[in-house]
Amino acid sequence: MTAFIQYTLQGLALGGFYALAALGLAVIFGVLGVVNFSHGACYMLGAVGAALLLDATGLGFWAALPIITVAMFLFGVLLERLFVQWLLRLDPLYNFLLTFGITLFLVDFVKRRYGVSSLPYELPAGLQGRVNVGSVSLSSYQIFVAVFSVALCLAVWLLLTKTRVGMIVRASTEDAERSRALGINVGRWVTPVFGFGIALAGLAGVLRAPTGSVNADMGSFFIIILFAVVVIGGLGSILGAVVAGFLVGLVEAYGQGYAGSFSQVLIFVLMAVVILVRPSGLFGREEAAS
Amino acid sequence: MSSQLVSKVDVDLPDAPSITAQRPYLRWVGMAVGLLVVLALPFFIYPPVAMDIAAWALFAISVDLLLGYTGLLSFGHAAFWGTSAYTTGLIAIHAGLPFPVAVLGGAVCAMILAVPTGYLAVRRTGIYFAMVTLAFAQMVYFIANQWRSVTGGENGLQGVPKNLGPLTDLINQDPFYFYYAALPLILIGVVIAWRTVNSPFGRVLVAIRDNPARARALGYDVERYKIMVFVISAGLAGLAGGVFSASHGFASLQELIWTTSGKVVLITVLGGIGTLWGGPVGAALVVLLEDRLASSGFNGIGIITGAIFVIIVLAFRHGIWGTARNGIGSWLRSRRRAREDA
Amino acid sequence: MQRTRNSMSSFARRPLALAATAVTGSLVLAACGAGGPSSGGGKISDDKVVLGLLNDQSGVYKDLSGPNSKVAIEMAVADYKAKYGDKAVAKNIEIVQADHQNKPDIANTKAQEMYDRQKADIILDVPTSSAALAVATQAKAKKKLFIDIGAGTTALTGKSCNKYTFHWAYDTYMLAQGTGATAVQNGGKNWSIVYPDYAFGQDMTKSFTNAVTKAGGTVQQSIATPFPNDNFSTFITKAESSKPNVIGIMAAGGDLINFVKQFNQAGLQGKTQLAVGLMFITDIHSLGVDQFQGTQFTDAWYWNFDDQNRAWADKFKAKTQTRPSFAHAGNYSAALQYLEAVQRAGTDNSDAVVKELEGKKLNDVFLRNGEVRAADHRVLHDAYLVKVKSKDQVKEEWDYEEVVSTIPAAEAFNPTVSTDCTM
Repeated sequence: MTAFIQYTLQGLALGGFYALAALGLAVIFGVLGVVNFSHGACYMLGAVGAALLLDATGLGFWAALPIITVAMFLFGVLLERLFVQWLLRLDPLYNFLLTFGITLFLVDFVKRRYGVSSLPYELPAGLQGRVNVGSVSLSSYQIFVAVFSVALCLAVWLLLTKTRVGMIVRASTEDAERSRALGINVGRWVTPVFGFGIALAGLAGVLRAPTGSVNADMGSFFIIILFAVVVIGGLGSILGAVVAGFLVGLVEAYGQGYAGSFSQVLIFVLMAVVILVRPSGLFGREEAAS
Repeated sequence: MSSQLVSKVDVDLPDAPSITAQRPYLRWVGMAVGLLVVLALPFFIYPPVAMDIAAWALFAISVDLLLGYTGLLSFGHAAFWGTSAYTTGLIAIHAGLPFPVAVLGGAVCAMILAVPTGYLAVRRTGIYFAMVTLAFAQMVYFIANQWRSVTGGENGLQGVPKNLGPLTDLINQDPFYFYYAALPLILIGVVIAWRTVNSPFGRVLVAIRDNPARARALGYDVERYKIMVFVISAGLAGLAGGVFSASHGFASLQELIWTTSGKVVLITVLGGIGTLWGGPVGAALVVLLEDRLASSGFNGIGIITGAIFVIIVLAFRHGIWGTARNGIGSWLRSRRRAREDA
Repeated sequence: MQRTRNSMSSFARRPLALAATAVTGSLVLAACGAGGPSSGGGKISDDKVVLGLLNDQSGVYKDLSGPNSKVAIEMAVADYKAKYGDKAVAKNIEIVQADHQNKPDIANTKAQEMYDRQKADIILDVPTSSAALAVATQAKAKKKLFIDIGAGTTALTGKSCNKYTFHWAYDTYMLAQGTGATAVQNGGKNWSIVYPDYAFGQDMTKSFTNAVTKAGGTVQQSIATPFPNDNFSTFITKAESSKPNVIGIMAAGGDLINFVKQFNQAGLQGKTQLAVGLMFITDIHSLGVDQFQGTQFTDAWYWNFDDQNRAWADKFKAKTQTRPSFAHAGNYSAALQYLEAVQRAGTDNSDAVVKELEGKKLNDVFLRNGEVRAADHRVLHDAYLVKVKSKDQVKEEWDYEEVVSTIPAAEAFNPTVSTDCTM
C-alpha cells in the first residue's frame, strides 16, 4: 500500500510537469490550429538556454525561469512571424510538416554548436533534499515542480476564463468564424498566443534542466509523449491537456511500478483506446476530429 | 479553425490539366527517360547507395499514395518498412529462400499487419490519423526491441543472406549486380502504385480526399476504400523495406524508430506530394546528401535537410518535382500560346 | 568484367568523384584502379596502406571518440614512421574517415565503400553494436581487417566473430567483472540493478549478476526500465525498497545522466553506493564531478594513471586541447599495432597481417599485458576499477578518476571462448 501511495504521488508530480509542457501545445492548437512539432525542440532550447545562461553569466535557476521564458516568448513570436503565419490558411498538416523541419534544424544546430554531451546543471539552492511523510517520500524539487506547474496551469486557466483577453482568445478557439463576425480581431492574438505557447515549452525545459540530461536530443522523444497527452486530452482543449497530463503521469508511474519496461507502451495503448472510444479525445469537440 | 481543417491539401493533382494530358506521348517519353535513369544509376552512383535510393523511393511512393492521393498523413510507416525488413531477414536466414521470395514474404507480412491498423486508423483523419499511426508504430518498435530471440534486439538481425539460385555468387560478390537483381521488385512496386492511382479506384480515392461527404453520398464505402489503399501502401513500404534489408544484409531497430517514419515523410514532401515521381526525386536528394555529408566531416545533416524542408513547405509546396513539372508545363503552354498567336 | 565496368564508368563518375576527392583524396584512384579484394602479388596493395576510421562524429559518441580519434590515429602513423624511417614497409599511409551517425545501414554502406573504393586495408572504431556487427560481416566478406574499439557487444567475439575482426578495448563482460566483483569484495554484498530493457542492458545485467554472485554477493532485484526513459524516480524507489548496499545502473548516455541526477535528488548519494555499468570520462566531464562523486565503474584506460599514459595524453592535448578518453587511446593502439603487424609481415595482405596479430603479446600505452587471443580475437589487457573523485581532489581539468584497483588482463575478460564463435 505504501508503494502504491508512493507511486501515486510520483505520478501526480510527473503529471503536473506533463500538463505544463502540454499546455502550450494545446493553446497553440486551440487558437491557431497548428500542431506544433517543434514543441519538443523548444523545450530543449529552454533547458539548453538555461545551461548556457549559467555558463555565460553565472545566473542560476531562479533567474533563468523568467529570462528564458521571455526569451522563448520572443523566439516563438519570431517563429510565427517568419514561418508559421504563411501556412495558417492551409491544411494543418502543412504547419505540422513545417515545424517538423524546424525541429530537424534546431536539434542539429544545437548539436553542432554546443556538442552532444549533457550540459551541466544543478539543483537550485533550497530545493535539495527530500520530504518524508511516514514511509512515503518525494524529493523537494519534485514537489516544487508539481506545485509550480499546477499553479501555472491554474493561472493560465484563470487568464483564459476571467479576463477580457482570455475571453477573446477562447472565443477565437471555440469558433473563429463567429468571433470574426462579432468584430473580434482574431488575427491580432495569433502571434502572442503562439509566443505564449512556446514560452511554456521553454519554461518546462528550464524546470527539467536540474533533474535530467540537458542535450540536443532531450526533446526528440518527449514530443511523442506530449502528442499522446494532447491527443488523449483532446487537441486544443486546455482542460483536456491538464487532465491528460496527470493521467499520463499516473499511468507512467504505475506502469513503472508494476509493469517495468512496459510503462511507456501503456501510454500509447491508453492513447489508442481513447481514440477508439472517444475519437476526439477526452475533452475535445467531436467536429475537431474529422 | 474548423474551416482550416476541412480545407483540402493544397496541391494540384491528376485532375488538374497536366502536361501529359495534352501531349500523351510525353508520358511515354517521361517513363522511358525515368527507366533509363534508374537502369543507369549504379554507373553514376555507388551501387549500394543507388539501391538505398531505389528502396527509399518506393517507400516514399507508398507514403505518397496515402498523403497525396488519399489525404492521409501516416507518421508510422516505419512499422511496415521495418516489419518487412525483419520478416525478409528471418525468411532468408531460416528458410534459405531466394531473396525476392523473402522480400515478397515480408511485404505480405506488412500488409497483414496493416489490416487491423488500417481498420482502426482510417476512422480518423488529419492530425489524428498521423497520431494513431505513430502510436501504433511505437508499439511495433517496442515489440521488436523486446522480442530479442527473434529480432536480435538492439544488435539487429545480422547476416541476412542474398540467395538467388545460380546467381547467388554474382550478386554477393558485387552490389552492382545485386542492384539489377533487386530492381524488378522495386519496379513492380512502382507499377502497382501507378496502376492504383490511374484506375477507377484511384479516382475514387481522390474524390474521397477532396470531399469525403460527397463520396459517401454517392454510395462509396469511404472507410473500406481507405483501408484498401492503406494496405496497398503498407505492402509497397514492405517491398521497399525488404529490399533494403536484403541489400544491407541485416535489419535493425533503426528501421522501426519513429525518425524513419519522419524521414520518409520528409522525402515525400521534398519530392512533391501527389506526383509519384516526387518520391524518387526526394529519395535521391536525401540519400545522396546523407551519403556525401557522412564523409565530409560536416556533422549536422539536419541543418541542411531541415532548412531545405522548411523552404519547400513554405515556398514550393508542390515539392521539387511538382514545381519543376508545373514550371515546364506553364512554359510549354506559354510557348504554344505564343505559337498560336503568331 | 569488373575492370570493364570500372573503366566504363570512370568517366561518368568523375564529377562525383572529384567532389569526393576534396574530402578523401582517394575516390578517383578507386574508380580507375583495378578491383578485386586483397592484392595477391605486390607487397603493399595500391602502393599505400589505407586506415579507415568509421565512427560517430555527430551523435552521442562524438565526444567519446568522434573526430579526435583521427588525431589519435595520425599520432600512431607518425610514431610508426618515426620508428622505422626508411625501413618502413608502409611508406605511404592514408587515413579516410566517415560518420556513421550510429545508424547501422550507413555504417554498412560506408564500410563497403571504404573497403571497395577507398581501398581501406582496415576499419577502426565503429561504436554502436548493430553498426559494429554489420561492419564485421563486411570485413569477413571483403577479407579486410576490422578492429572494433567503440562497441561493447560480446557478439563480436561470439556469433559474429570472424578471421578479420578484432575486439580491442572493452566488452560487457569486462565492465561487469571489474565493477561487480570488486564492489562485492569491498563490502557491497546486496545489490539492486536497474537496467534499460534492451539487448545491451540485458547482457549487462546477466554479466553483473554472474560477477556479483560469484564474488559472494546477491542481486536482490533487477528492475527493467523502458529505453529511452526520462523519469526514473519510481524505479529508484523500487530499487531502494530492498535496502541494498549497492545500486547498479546499466543505462548509458543521456539516460544515465537522468538516472544519476534523480538518484542524487532522492537523497541517496553517499548513502547507497552507486555502481555504473557503462560510463565514460566524457560523462563525468559533462555533468561535473559533484554529481558522480564516489561512483565506481570500470574503465579500459585512464589518461592520468601513470607517467606513460600522461606523456601520451600531453601530446594528445597539444593537438586537440582536450584529454583523451579510452577510445582515443584505443584507436591509437589499434592503428599502431596494425602498422607494426604490417611491418613484421612485410606486406599489407590481410591474411599475413592477421597471422602477425593472432596470439601475439602486445604492449603499448593502451595495452598493458595485452594479448590477442587467437581463438576469438578478443584482445585481453589490464582494466581498471575507478572511483570518481570529489571536487576538492580534482587538481586540473579532466582529473576525475582515481584508480581503485587494476584488474589483471587474465581476469578482466571472459576466460572461456564463446561456443558460438567459429572462425
